[in-house]
Amino acid sequence: MELTLQGISFVRHDKAVLSDVSATVPARGLTCLLGTNGAGKTTLLRVVSGELKPTSGRYFIDSTDASALSRKELARHFAVIPQNAPIPPYLTVREMVGLGRFKPRGSPKWRVSGQDRAKVDASLSRCRVEGLGDRRLDEVSGGEQRRAWLAFGLVSDKYFLVLDETLDGMDVFGKRTFFELLKDIASRDKSIVLASHDLDLVNEFADKIIVLVGGRVVFEGPPDSDLQKLLGSSPESAYIIPDKGK
Amino acid sequence: MKRVPWMAAALCLLLVIGVFVGISMGPAELDFSRLLSAVTGQGDDAAMTLVWDLRLPRVVAALVAGACLGVAGFLLQTSTRNPLGDPQLFGLGGGAAVVQALAIAGIVGRGTWGLYTLSVIASLVGAAIITFFASRRGVSAARLALIGVSLSALTAAIGTGALAGARVFSQQSLNFVGGSLANRGWPDVMPALPFLGLGLVAAVPVLRNLSVLALGDQVAANLGAEPGRTRAVAVASSGILGGTAVAIAGMVGFVGLLVPHVARLLVGHDVRTSFIMSVLLGAAVLLFADQVSRLAFMPSEVPAGMITALLGAPLMIYVARRVQWN
Repeated sequence: MELTLQGISFVRHDKAVLSDVSATVPARGLTCLLGTNGAGKTTLLRVVSGELKPTSGRYFIDSTDASALSRKELARHFAVIPQNAPIPPYLTVREMVGLGRFKPRGSPKWRVSGQDRAKVDASLSRCRVEGLGDRRLDEVSGGEQRRAWLAFGLVSDKYFLVLDETLDGMDVFGKRTFFELLKDIASRDKSIVLASHDLDLVNEFADKIIVLVGGRVVFEGPPDSDLQKLLGSSPESAYIIPDKGK
Repeated sequence: MKRVPWMAAALCLLLVIGVFVGISMGPAELDFSRLLSAVTGQGDDAAMTLVWDLRLPRVVAALVAGACLGVAGFLLQTSTRNPLGDPQLFGLGGGAAVVQALAIAGIVGRGTWGLYTLSVIASLVGAAIITFFASRRGVSAARLALIGVSLSALTAAIGTGALAGARVFSQQSLNFVGGSLANRGWPDVMPALPFLGLGLVAAVPVLRNLSVLALGDQVAANLGAEPGRTRAVAVASSGILGGTAVAIAGMVGFVGLLVPHVARLLVGHDVRTSFIMSVLLGAAVLLFADQVSRLAFMPSEVPAGMITALLGAPLMIYVARRVQWN
């Protein structure tokens, strides 16, 4: 399934947060959304996942007009891990990941099915947190929490996995491990969209990069050694390109 | 969790013991054979009156009020993700308390059905205010608790003002403020049953959605769980149950706050399981508190709310140390 954005604009308080955003998220692979704080990355992800309605423009999942779908219908396609994903009290890693199996119109089953349990175990194992299933979420490290959230996103079997700046606050080794994991998952059977600030890691791991500056797409394509040069023409690039920021 | 059936069975056993204590012990002596005859409907008049008209309705009142408080607290805590969720603390019971205070002061009529209905409506107004603030972005758990406490303080002031203005300082008003089940008969208890049923029936369909509300509104909405509607229904149910509890037992503190925490510590986070445990545990806590309140200082009584506070305060400190809040 391919996600195609056509002229998406979003205006909040008379200010254009997104302006005529057109891009394609391929059916498989890791697509990274790069941009400064306030560039519109989070807003774009919130529009795509149905949380916000675009002021104008449409987006399609293959040939289906997804902008006309309800949020419940969109929930069948997108697993979303928001910025600053909460750490619910009481929950163990396994319980939290298990909630990813939630279906809006599922039968009111009392017990978790064997199939759901197997899916949870498989996701925990795939995200390398299988040994933490019975630990409470607030007791594991920040990197492990993010991998648990990734397992939560995977367990639902949705085609698109959307992560909004999930790596913020992680150390460089943790980020690298996480990117390797995303790359591995995306290379098999998922389309992952990740909003990030980390130009170097994104350039190394992404299959496709979309750069937003001031709510507009200024670059769309595969990782490119000329990306820094290209971004150099934007006054906001100082925030994206680490070397220029110093 | 494997221990859930054991926990449920242990609580049911506790409830049976509590009911037995409730109908067998008291200032008036009743030996086992007279009790048995009365329970089977063949006792002497005094025993029959004692068991069926005096003690059993009070036991049922404690069970119903306790279950109402346990579930009301559970629904508030789960739907607002707030560990301080409690119908009393969040001001839901406050609206009902004003109605009850006005009734004790003789300002509104005291027909029991009407009074229950008014209490529930007043409690629903508090529920609507809490739902409004809980659904706004940027309202933290602490801020929501402050709003609830303010609402609660306001309604308490109005209720106290009504009692003071009418110069009513009777045992009844003391029982109401302290939270007591003394002298509850069938006419006081029966109207509570449909409201208990209504509150529970309204809550059950949203339990599945409530389970994912712990992950935040954004994640819940992305899963298709409709957090706004789910919270509105859960808090409204909490309002119905909280108002009902106040109408039966007055201002019993700590049960709604403490019971859901203990239920989750016992059986884990699964919303449906901890919901049932909150029903059973709430009923058991208030039933036993009421037995202590009426038996410990026989023939005098202390309000059951005093017992729940005496037990609840240290237990809440323990729970607060065990649980790490968001």
